[in-house]
Amino acid sequence: MICAGVDIGSTTTKVVLLQNGEVLAAVLAPSGNLPGRTATRLYTETLAQAGLSEKDVDAVATTGYGRRLADLGDLVMTEIKACAAGVLFRQAADNPIHTVIDVGGQDTKVLALDDQGEVEDFSMNDKCAAGTGRFLEMLAHKLELSYEDFVAEALRSETTIQMNATCAVFAESEVVGLLARNVPKCDIAAAAHQAIAARISSMVRRVSQRGAYYFVGGGARNAALVRALAEQLNQQLIVPPDAQFIVALGAALGARRKLEGRVEKR
Amino acid sequence: MTAEQFDTRYAVAPRFAGDPAARQRAELVVRQQLQHLAKLTHRPGNIGWFEKQVVGPLDQRQGTPLIGYFCNTIPVEVAYALGARPVQLGCGNPALVQPGEEVLSGEICPLAKSSFATFLTADGTPRKCAAVVIPTSCDAKKKLGEIVADFRPTFMLNLPPEQNTARYLRLAVAEVERMATFLADVLGRRLRRRDLLAAIELTRHRSVLVRRLQTARAANPAALSVRDFFIIIQASFAGADLTEWLHETTRVISEVEAAGPSHTHQRTPLILTGAPIFWPNFKPLNLIEECGADVVADTLCTGAQSCFDPVVCDEHSWSALWRALAQRYIFASPCPCFISQATRLSRILDLVAEFKAEGVVNYGLRLCPLFDMEVYRLSRILKERRIPFANMRTDYSLEDTEQLRVRLEAFLETVGAGT
Repeated sequence: MICAGVDIGSTTTKVVLLQNGEVLAAVLAPSGNLPGRTATRLYTETLAQAGLSEKDVDAVATTGYGRRLADLGDLVMTEIKACAAGVLFRQAADNPIHTVIDVGGQDTKVLALDDQGEVEDFSMNDKCAAGTGRFLEMLAHKLELSYEDFVAEALRSETTIQMNATCAVFAESEVVGLLARNVPKCDIAAAAHQAIAARISSMVRRVSQRGAYYFVGGGARNAALVRALAEQLNQQLIVPPDAQFIVALGAALGARRKLEGRVEKR
Repeated sequence: MTAEQFDTRYAVAPRFAGDPAARQRAELVVRQQLQHLAKLTHRPGNIGWFEKQVVGPLDQRQGTPLIGYFCNTIPVEVAYALGARPVQLGCGNPALVQPGEEVLSGEICPLAKSSFATFLTADGTPRKCAAVVIPTSCDAKKKLGEIVADFRPTFMLNLPPEQNTARYLRLAVAEVERMATFLADVLGRRLRRRDLLAAIELTRHRSVLVRRLQTARAANPAALSVRDFFIIIQASFAGADLTEWLHETTRVISEVEAAGPSHTHQRTPLILTGAPIFWPNFKPLNLIEECGADVVADTLCTGAQSCFDPVVCDEHSWSALWRALAQRYIFASPCPCFISQATRLSRILDLVAEFKAEGVVNYGLRLCPLFDMEVYRLSRILKERRIPFANMRTDYSLEDTEQLRVRLEAFLETVGAGT
């Protein structure tokens, strides 16, 4: 049985093909201005890459902010449910996950999972960029650094300076002020990561305080953010190597579950 | 009478702002919401009559004077008994938040800002009112009373801090009586007991119909959208002729009851609680229904709860009537401006049990600390009882619609009803 999960995020779109519990392919591309079209194109490309055609796929599920923008699948599910399904699939049997942090481009989500891996509670950031991946991207741009350099600079810093992350726009003004005072870029970059990590850790404590902690989404690829968040939470964070694909993987699993349910009903 | 509450030495000239662009935006919001509702499959045949009442403009036939009021803690029967028509001045139009902000601070709740904006236009409803009555139900309302006193004769009804009749009944009764004297003075009319009793009978009839409609739609929510239900209810306090309203609502009930109970309903039944949802700010209601859930009961002061309780009076002496009005409007109010949250929590838990709801959604209005503060205990109490709970904290703007949709859909998935 081959199932596909398509996670259409605000920044990137991810496609995962799953065959009998094995990932056949996992592909990522920027969502662009027409996320629905990007998703369809990426899905076709992924199939081609795996040497498959649409007919070979038994079920497709779409998720993410653009889940209804592409008419691909048999199932539309929220990224919350997909994320929980992906984590449950990936977690080690001897170290069950109870808290999931998903930092995406537009949203940050925290999920509390019960002993069965079902979503017990969840929280999302309010309607602004502060607390999301976009916040860091904006500040990197302000410092005239590529995102990778911005992260590298943050890791290099050995000084702690205070910065707020209540509003992404105000944070930009704050950066201007810090630059004017000749504060080194590496310290500003570190402060930005600390600020966003403090905000995310508040969200975490609000929803769940139970390990193990799992960190997924594009934000989990940022080593400086992983470090800052682990410090703020005073917890080890498990970061899967395919952190960005966990939600798409969960969607593929959701598609599989739905198909199995349908087969059982027959 | 006004001088007793507001020191006229510091009266300032009312400010008016005629912003045609804001008006156009406000009309567009109304049009869009009407178009949105037109897509609903089952609507009462006479819903147009109710829409006309909430959209306006007010029909002022026979020169009936209007009494503007805020909140659901004002005994409107007094206005009816004096031959006037009460009109709720709470505004839900997102396009009027900005004009309100041009005069008041931005850090005030959107309901207060948009409602105040209706005072700023020459043909707004407040300008047509003989007087305005505002309860001290929150800090914004307290100060709004003082501000609008420069626009129209205004009466502030002082609410007690607790719904404790042993301690505050006498004070509350005195306030209701004082309001009646004020309105009689402004209108130049004498309040007669038989008129007050007739008005109480009229609103009692409204409660009966709202309860019947609630029961009928809880048995089959598909027969009447909660959005249409809210329009019907809000039409009754938007200045409609209440006798006509009773007639039209009876027709709706016949239609909904004729649909019979549903046995195949798959959507998630929810209880809605929290801040007032005023026409045309139906964003929370649109989202809940679009995500595949039904509001089967609510505790909103602009929903079924607003008309649920009749005024109950066994004796007809003046003192008994004042007491009955205070009991209904002040001591049975679901407003979080009163200290103890217990009565509101009990009401929510009762509704969950009665209507077999699978979850509770709280509509939190940004910048309203009263509702916001109550979420802490509400969420804990529901969690302890394993009742799924979602908090939709937002304002009037539409920019977070998609984020709220994800939250609601995910919530419904956790309730076990999502696809």
